[in-house]
Amino acid sequence: MGKDGKTVRVATDVGGTFTDLVYFESDAATGDQIIRTAKVDTTPPNFAQGVLNVIQKAAVDLNTVDFLVHGTTVVINALTERRGVKTALITTQGFRDILEIARANRPDYFNLKWVKPAPFVPRYLRQEVSGRLHTDGSEREALDLSHLPDMLRTFRADGVQAIAICLLHAYANPAHEQAVLSEVQRLWPEVSVVASHQITREWREYERSSTTVLSAYVQPIAARYLDNLEAGLREGGYEPPLYIMQSNCGVDSVKHARDIPITMVESGPASGFWAAAELGRLLDEPNLLALDIGGTTAKCSLVRNGQVSIKTDYWIERNRLNAGYPIMVPVVDLVEIGNGGGSIAWVDEFDKLHVGPESAGALPGPAAYGNGGTRVTTTDANLALGRINPDYFCGGELVADMAAVRRAFVQLSERLQLPVDEVARGIVRIANDNMVNALKLVSLSRGHDPRELTLVAFGGGGAMHAVALGQELGVRKVIVPRGASVFSAWGMTMSDLRRDLFINRFVEAERDGALAQTQAFLDELMHNARAQFISEAIAPEQVDLQVYCKLRYQNQEHAVEVALNSDESLTEHWPVIAQRFHSLYEQHYTYRLQAPLEVIGFHLVAVAQIGKLNLQALPITGRPLVEAHKGQRPVDFALEGIHDTAIYDYALLEPQMHFSGPAIIEDAGSTVVVHPGNQVLVDRLGNLHITLTQEGAAS
Amino acid sequence: MSNLDVFTLDIIQNSLQAIADEMFTAMRKAAMSPIIYEVLDMGTGITDAQGDIASSGAGIPAFVGVLDKAVKQILLQHPAPGEIEEGDVFITNDPHSGGVTHLNDVVLAMPVFAKGRLLAWTANIAHWNDVSGMVPGSLSTEATEIFQEGLRLASVKLISRGQPIRSVLQILRCNTRMPDFMEGDLWAGIAAVRGGATRLQALSEKYGIEVFLAAMRAFMELGEKTSLSALLSLPPGHLQKEERQDDGSVFKVAIQITERELIIDLRDNPDQCAGPTNLSRDGTVVAAQMAFKALTAPQGVTNGGTFRPLRVLTRPGSLFDARPPAAEGFYFENLIRVHDLILRCLAERFPERLPAGNFASVCATIIGGVHPDTGRAFTLVEPEIGGWGAERGRDGNNAVYSGLHGETFNCPVEVCEARYGLYVERMALNDEPGGHGQFRGGRGICIDYRIRADASFLTCGYTRAVIAPWGLEQGLEGTHNYIVVVRQDGARERYAMASSISLDAGDLVQVRTGAGGGYGLPADRDPQAVRDDVKNGYVDVDTARSVYGLPL
Repeated sequence: MGKDGKTVRVATDVGGTFTDLVYFESDAATGDQIIRTAKVDTTPPNFAQGVLNVIQKAAVDLNTVDFLVHGTTVVINALTERRGVKTALITTQGFRDILEIARANRPDYFNLKWVKPAPFVPRYLRQEVSGRLHTDGSEREALDLSHLPDMLRTFRADGVQAIAICLLHAYANPAHEQAVLSEVQRLWPEVSVVASHQITREWREYERSSTTVLSAYVQPIAARYLDNLEAGLREGGYEPPLYIMQSNCGVDSVKHARDIPITMVESGPASGFWAAAELGRLLDEPNLLALDIGGTTAKCSLVRNGQVSIKTDYWIERNRLNAGYPIMVPVVDLVEIGNGGGSIAWVDEFDKLHVGPESAGALPGPAAYGNGGTRVTTTDANLALGRINPDYFCGGELVADMAAVRRAFVQLSERLQLPVDEVARGIVRIANDNMVNALKLVSLSRGHDPRELTLVAFGGGGAMHAVALGQELGVRKVIVPRGASVFSAWGMTMSDLRRDLFINRFVEAERDGALAQTQAFLDELMHNARAQFISEAIAPEQVDLQVYCKLRYQNQEHAVEVALNSDESLTEHWPVIAQRFHSLYEQHYTYRLQAPLEVIGFHLVAVAQIGKLNLQALPITGRPLVEAHKGQRPVDFALEGIHDTAIYDYALLEPQMHFSGPAIIEDAGSTVVVHPGNQVLVDRLGNLHITLTQEGAAS
Repeated sequence: MSNLDVFTLDIIQNSLQAIADEMFTAMRKAAMSPIIYEVLDMGTGITDAQGDIASSGAGIPAFVGVLDKAVKQILLQHPAPGEIEEGDVFITNDPHSGGVTHLNDVVLAMPVFAKGRLLAWTANIAHWNDVSGMVPGSLSTEATEIFQEGLRLASVKLISRGQPIRSVLQILRCNTRMPDFMEGDLWAGIAAVRGGATRLQALSEKYGIEVFLAAMRAFMELGEKTSLSALLSLPPGHLQKEERQDDGSVFKVAIQITERELIIDLRDNPDQCAGPTNLSRDGTVVAAQMAFKALTAPQGVTNGGTFRPLRVLTRPGSLFDARPPAAEGFYFENLIRVHDLILRCLAERFPERLPAGNFASVCATIIGGVHPDTGRAFTLVEPEIGGWGAERGRDGNNAVYSGLHGETFNCPVEVCEARYGLYVERMALNDEPGGHGQFRGGRGICIDYRIRADASFLTCGYTRAVIAPWGLEQGLEGTHNYIVVVRQDGARERYAMASSISLDAGDLVQVRTGAGGGYGLPADRDPQAVRDDVKNGYVDVDTARSVYGLPL
């Protein structure tokens, strides 16, 4: 809290096109809250400048800010645009080609001309050291570093700027990697270097190598970026610690982020899903389907019992046709599809209509932007159906170019031999179907019945499609948060300091003494996790540890995470823990076995709370609903027909207001489409609760 | 039908794809054997009520064409009313009766009913480690009759109206050397077909049975239309090719392309053999279907309709249409041989459409024994990866799975060492010179396994060990696939097709797979590309000089 009794929390988010800021000021004495948002253009290559620009535009005095958190797409963009540095890899003798062999899969399997993804490090920069470990981490052959000086000389001559180190079985024992790492640092102190054990302690050498290489590849760029950012903020008078949003829905110190930048890879979506989980806690809605629809993609994730699910099975550039590249770091468990507001509708050679994954992006954008876009996007279809108001397009900042929309539709309409309104309905239905299948992947396919979940929709396009998706899935309620378009940034300001450690340790649970040894190993892990936070000046009582034991039936590969209660030990409470595994397994896979159990490792979540906003209820002025009623217009609800529909101004809605669909609610960042028969209620925080009474009518 | 229904049909078709994919994911996660969850030697699919494939999940292209044949056989074997009921699950593995491949590949199929009417089937296929037979792993190059290859299951009902039939489960459990694995993999497969069936029922309930069935029919028609339109872009004509095989025999293919049909004639081929490399007619059809798909529309939809314009001619009693009791354990090498032969015949006529020959062998590698750390029996069963052929404008891919495999993953070294109690001493690209051309064939691999326990064994089924992968447009041929066993005393033994080779602690098993064929004359290769190859070690200095004429 600041000297004047006010707390100021600021989140900034660098995206591909825009850099956003959200400012929250709360006054402890009066309970007053001020919320401001601002947006400027992103400023490549000096992205930090955009952050300083947006702080200036929002008139934020950095001297008064108590907590500043920052999220960025710089890492993922550097990867997908191949803008990283020249990187070398040091690996175990006999295995330098692992990175290139990869997993050898051909997802586009009928296509004999399929192209395998090229490795990020060419073969001549992949070099080997001899020395081997057993699977349990014990040494089989001593490490030989005698060739390292020559190797580094060659790397230097070749213009290498970053080095990744990944040795076999380093997840079990990092000693060899540590020796290589310190020798590299001694011989070549200026080079950027990272070893696999610093990022992950899980087995699978290709995935670990890829992760380490990709981290090294972006490390110098991320370091420069974070250094510039921090220097700029300090210059502006910001003194408290700077926090960086991570892919695991937590924030971490800027130092940690600089050392292992790859953990920022999905920081944007992570903060949105965290926001959904936080909102669920505020509203007592612990089981949520969270959906974030942006310009080019839709992402979804499941929040179960108030918890986000964090996994390390994350790949970039992977889809039905491409093998992609694995990044084995803790990332919120999400499904992403190429369906957003800017997704292009197209017809294949057999007259079948598709939507996405190609996107019109920010430029030219949808035809309605009037920037030369000639192809119909989902946004254009929503305009054609009257769901989006052409006179209040992008919050009134643009006038929708409806002539361009009509021109764009002509081609599709002729091709399909269908009238424009039919085509527009088709586009929205197909886009919705793509999203429904993604939502099913994170719910139904994982054994969770959507009827027991509440759908939370955010991002620029979330509220437009949410009700139709909710009806299709059979959820009972859709929540559209107030300020849905800046919801992700809000999530950042609510984040905790969080670290997820995944570590493999193979144990046959029923072997004598195995569990006692494993518990000792676990105790040490927990102690280290606490000690690390404490060394960073976090009070011990602020640190909360949650342990998940990864269990499976003997001989299986995929494990189920079983949460351990804080007072449980593997030795004393094994029967209870095993029972918990059996029932979780059955929930996921529909059957259970008599087979012996194996522990394959742990997932440790270390969290330190760093203060949260307490959201203030909105005032109730007693304004009649009719004042928020902007007018009426016909809106096409596809299978539910065309209805004369009430249009409401979101900014004028206040708590306890309620009305029924069909309705459209407009605010600056998004449009909420309420289908016929739905009931809308505004809660004390200004969020919309839309109860679905009609099941499965739309799609 | 109103216009709106066009999109309803699209949505149902997309959902069929999504459900097949979901079954794949579910099965992979729950499976117990690395060959299923890691190598993904498995496939999932949905057929219509008659057994025509409606949609397939990720996995192996060779398996896409298996599930329909298995379901059709189940239907044939259960013609009476009431023999197929809601909640039933059938199990099949007999290549002579709808199983298509070999006894290790087990198909589970479940009829999906709505309002008492059979709508569709969900099905999957996966490689089981051991189904009994004369050797561990059930695959023996010595087998002369299918009875030596394990338990035959021809359209057997395993679950009746939701209740497992105990006696069948007991038979299964007694007929494997690895009953625990068997049970885990079995239930993973059952969970997958059941999950898929539930989703299909929800889909038909939502849109109505008639619309659901119309969507499946329309989808098949789309598949057929896709193939026909691709055929129209090919000049009609008659092609022929014959090719000598590793064992000296000669395989022949004749292909007739018309505007509405592609006919692949494989009748003029050797009689079925006494060994285990015979192919069922269904297996041969699968090979032809994969080549047809690669030629016509590799990225379009694939379903029962896709293959309507394809006709495959075989001669009963031949290697490609073997009759019981022919052994079929190593069917896959002749399946891939005939697949490769068809491709070669087509590529020489349409070099812009298809690449040069690849290593084209499953290179099945089986190593078994007792795990030195756990004391339990283990069996490593793996297809190997190899070099792919070059094509116009591009070098071939290094180290990927053969044309029979697709979304298949190799086993990580760290997982391999833990599970099998072997040391992997090396996993690298194979730099043996070969596959030269204006565009170079991709590199195969070297894997060296150090055996840690006495009384272990090796079985392998490799072809292209004598006749190398073919080049295209004057590109040079690739290199061979083989195994060398290096004994403790340094003695070296070379193998390609062999079973139950004894191994002891300290022996080294060296897997070598070949480079793909080159495309175009080596002399036409961009000198900078040759210099890059030398820098990266893909081509040695001598070869750069002698084959590519590069002054260095």
